[in-house]
Amino acid sequence: MLRERDILATLRMLREENLDVRAVTLGINLDDCADRNIHTVARALRAKIGRVAASLVDVCDDLTATYGIAIVNKRIAVSPVSRLLEGHGGEAAILLGEALDEAAAEVRVDLIGGFTALVHKGITPGERLLIESLPRVLATTQRVCASVNIGTTRAGIQVDAVNLVSATILRIAEASASTQGFGAAKLVVFANAPEDNPFMAGAFLGCGEAESVINVGVSGPGVVKRAIERRLADAPESTLDDLAETVKHTAYRVTRAGELIAREAANRLGIPFGIVDLSLAPTPRVGDSVGEIYQAMGIDKLGAPGTTAAVALLNDAVKKGGAFASSSVGGLSGAFIPVMEDHALSDAVSKGWLTLEKLEAMTAVCSVGLDMILLPGDTSAETIAGLILDEAAIGVTNNKTTAVRVIPVPGKSTGERVDFGGLFGSGTIVNVNCPDGAERFIRRGGRIPAPLRSLGN
Amino acid sequence: MEKEVKFVLSILVADHPGIMCAITSAITDQGGNINGIRQTVVEGYFSIILTATFAAGASAAKLHAAVTANFPPGEASIVVRPYAPVAMDSAIIGGTTYILVIAGPDRPGILRAATGCLANHGVNIEDWSYHFDGPQVTYIGVLTVPRDVAVAAMQEVLRATLAPLEITCSLQHENIFRATSEIGPVKSILEGRHAT
Repeated sequence: MLRERDILATLRMLREENLDVRAVTLGINLDDCADRNIHTVARALRAKIGRVAASLVDVCDDLTATYGIAIVNKRIAVSPVSRLLEGHGGEAAILLGEALDEAAAEVRVDLIGGFTALVHKGITPGERLLIESLPRVLATTQRVCASVNIGTTRAGIQVDAVNLVSATILRIAEASASTQGFGAAKLVVFANAPEDNPFMAGAFLGCGEAESVINVGVSGPGVVKRAIERRLADAPESTLDDLAETVKHTAYRVTRAGELIAREAANRLGIPFGIVDLSLAPTPRVGDSVGEIYQAMGIDKLGAPGTTAAVALLNDAVKKGGAFASSSVGGLSGAFIPVMEDHALSDAVSKGWLTLEKLEAMTAVCSVGLDMILLPGDTSAETIAGLILDEAAIGVTNNKTTAVRVIPVPGKSTGERVDFGGLFGSGTIVNVNCPDGAERFIRRGGRIPAPLRSLGN
Repeated sequence: MEKEVKFVLSILVADHPGIMCAITSAITDQGGNINGIRQTVVEGYFSIILTATFAAGASAAKLHAAVTANFPPGEASIVVRPYAPVAMDSAIIGGTTYILVIAGPDRPGILRAATGCLANHGVNIEDWSYHFDGPQVTYIGVLTVPRDVAVAAMQEVLRATLAPLEITCSLQHENIFRATSEIGPVKSILEGRHAT
């Protein structure tokens, strides 16, 4: 029998604390769409996406009515499109990007990921074609999201790919100059990319996944923040381990809501359930911020010494709560720190408290990396490559996912404000301290070998 | 027991220690075995409903007298009826359990408006509780909703009905509350099994 206080606690999370299902992401394998004629490929992938995802949005809307929990985004993640480009050339990548965009619009999802190349050990012609098409595809499509994996703990870091992608990020920003470089916000550069991540822009259906799968991303930074505030109101003398325990129990409840929706969506669609990704993913709304959680813990100035420890505490407690809640926790599952999408983090950057270097330190203990960070328009490709290499080194060495999503804003300088609107938020262009001086290292290319921990067999 | 008879009892009495003992002692002394039981207290008044099985020859009048004898004269209101299996059939069987929460400033007419809407949709109320926080009242209803009822449409009717009274409401499948409150596997909850 349900207890009154349990019912009211769940209702409070849903109504007042912004608990929602951030994304129901349908993974679809497109490998069987391959053909020597690229127009046949485009037709086949449109038909398959239309068939498999036809009822995705309606099912999600029905689940919202049944359970009273908002499903904010309905998305698709396809298998890496670069595999469909092998043996093709010219405009093939552009054609498939447009076909994905149209297919996503037809089934009414908001974003489609999987315009992806996995180049951590080398670049095939199809992968190069995809990467070189990114400026046009990301500037001209509405829903297509891209990702490139440039390193793994087992393979090391492919520096040639990092250099190619870094130059491409500048070209993407230039191609979308009319939207302040927004195209670059739809590209994630990964190390140790997860194959089952439901969050954009980095979602794709990994090579080890099933023909189709439902993965769900649950958020809820507002729920965690309020739980900490209640704990401190009840017991002001609470220690950090008390706060960690509070976060863990809250993460448990949030994860369970996500698994319920994931399993129900999978049942109704007749598609296997994959994973629940419990990532504390913020939105620009007040009360839906990861930065506010650190503030609630006692970090009054985000970026002050101690901030990285707060991130580590939160990230670990979230994972522990999620792991007990479900045997199907996957994806990234931790705390995101996307600067533009989090008003508290964005505010700390604008005040100069939170620097790029501090953010990099925080990524060593959070679930992703340098995310949604605005760079000056005159940032060089080598500087971007250096940022990516540093992040990848953290991920590869520590056997965790790291990622870089940076937006060089054409014509803008450090300290200027940029507003993308909606969930992408607004922010201040960060200062890159000592932006040059590593060019000779970066331009050598080649590969940074896998760390010793890769020899674990 | 070779031949059994079954009764349903309802007792209302001002709350004090020992009521349950008085009732169950009377039933046991009459050779009865309690089958189903639910008890609550509202603003100092104890209320219980239970069913119990007895050996052939037991009667509602004898049982009523036995229970009455365990209370001071005039203290308890007692109803005893022969149990009718048809009662189970008239309740909704095979419906889906939803939780209704309505909240807002207390005023006359809230329950009539809400329960009228539920009755119009053929919804059966299984349990109903309340909680006051100053002038604000929260009602929680456990409902059985017939499978053919369009829940989204009924939610809209409820909201439209209660909005003029400044009352908010939510109607949600019980599994969202079970999933976030119980520790058993979510899969078991969806399969209708009880959590371990």
